[in-house]
Amino acid sequence: MTGHPSIAFDAVSVDFEGRMALRDVSVMLPERRIAVIGSNGSGKSTFARMLNGLVAPSAGHVRVHGLDPAREAKQLRRRVGFIFSNPDAQIVMPTVAEDVAFSLRGQGLARDEVAERVAATLGTYGLSALADAPAHTLSGGQKQLLALAAILIRQPALIVADEPTALLDAVNTRRIGNHLLDELAQQLVLVTHDMRLAARCDVVLRFEDGRMLECGDPRDVIAHYEREHA
Amino acid sequence: MIALYLPGTSPIHRMPAGPKVLIFMALTLAITLATRSAWALPALFALVVGGYLVAGLGMRDLLRQVVVVRWVMLVMLLAQLVFLPPLVAVANTGRVLTVIVLAALITLTTRIPDLLDATERSLAPLRRFGVNPSSIGLLLAMTITAIPVIAGFAASIREAQRARGVPLRIGTFVVPLLVMALKHSDDLADALVARGVE
Repeated sequence: MTGHPSIAFDAVSVDFEGRMALRDVSVMLPERRIAVIGSNGSGKSTFARMLNGLVAPSAGHVRVHGLDPAREAKQLRRRVGFIFSNPDAQIVMPTVAEDVAFSLRGQGLARDEVAERVAATLGTYGLSALADAPAHTLSGGQKQLLALAAILIRQPALIVADEPTALLDAVNTRRIGNHLLDELAQQLVLVTHDMRLAARCDVVLRFEDGRMLECGDPRDVIAHYEREHA
Repeated sequence: MIALYLPGTSPIHRMPAGPKVLIFMALTLAITLATRSAWALPALFALVVGGYLVAGLGMRDLLRQVVVVRWVMLVMLLAQLVFLPPLVAVANTGRVLTVIVLAALITLTTRIPDLLDATERSLAPLRRFGVNPSSIGLLLAMTITAIPVIAGFAASIREAQRARGVPLRIGTFVVPLLVMALKHSDDLADALVARGVE
């Protein structure tokens, strides 16, 4: 599936004080569902973090939906929603509804409109009954749903999910995975160790030791990865 | 230590956050200065208890706030007993406890976003001196949010240490707690940036 605004990396390297986290990565990604796989420390998360300017390139150029994360980070972050693997670290406000509403702060919306959008978003994610609950008392799956709700209420054009199911059980992994892969229209970059989720994407990127080894059909890339790590 | 909002329709719940915080500040000042009459502090404490009743909160809610801070209060009392007459030490500790219970009444009856808005509005005049009211409001909200998280870290460290038979010692407890708290603050900073907070 193509036709989405592109993500483009042109000879991008990232040097963390002598440790090369990414080496000379060049790729153009117009697909909707993009999986990123590789061993721990292979550069997957660095690649993902560059998509909203959390990490800047030491060399090369990145363009995400026509914007340069290094120079236009503020505009880009309005278009990119980022989901981290640890849902606890994404909770900013004490209660569920307040945390979702926090995403709309500074947008000049009327209080009633914020309340309406928060209620609708919580309904979408089955969190309505927990609206006034302390966010940190939620289960892992509910917290990750809350993180999704807090991101998606801003209606981003691109969702970057860095191992969003890493801390979840099988049921919640399936639930979050289905939602990200099948129910959303936005472009998705999914960093994952779960090959079943990666296999459902349109394209898979494989990283090792900071290099992008492959970018192609999910079946081929996953087969190569599994063969080498068998 | 900081109580979370309990929904309600009482006059205290309905009162705007700004005046509520101003009343809190005035009462805190009164509690602090209540040193002349032996009856002043009990009277102010009774007023705070009355506030709980008007807010539709029970004595259980009030006692919960006291139980949460009991060890801090005990340490404070013991430290003062070393240097001050017993009556003064008890009165000072009672003053702090009354302010804590009063602060809990505010957070139990006020939504955090309303407190944030009130804080930002009241600090707006300081903008000309380079103060960013939004950042201060956010700092307050995140402090409240961080308390259960840090408590969770403390519980998991103790659990892990118990599982390995490690006795409770300040050094072996505080160092991993600090490391986890700093890691959490790094992750939270990334999450805030990702959510558009600069």
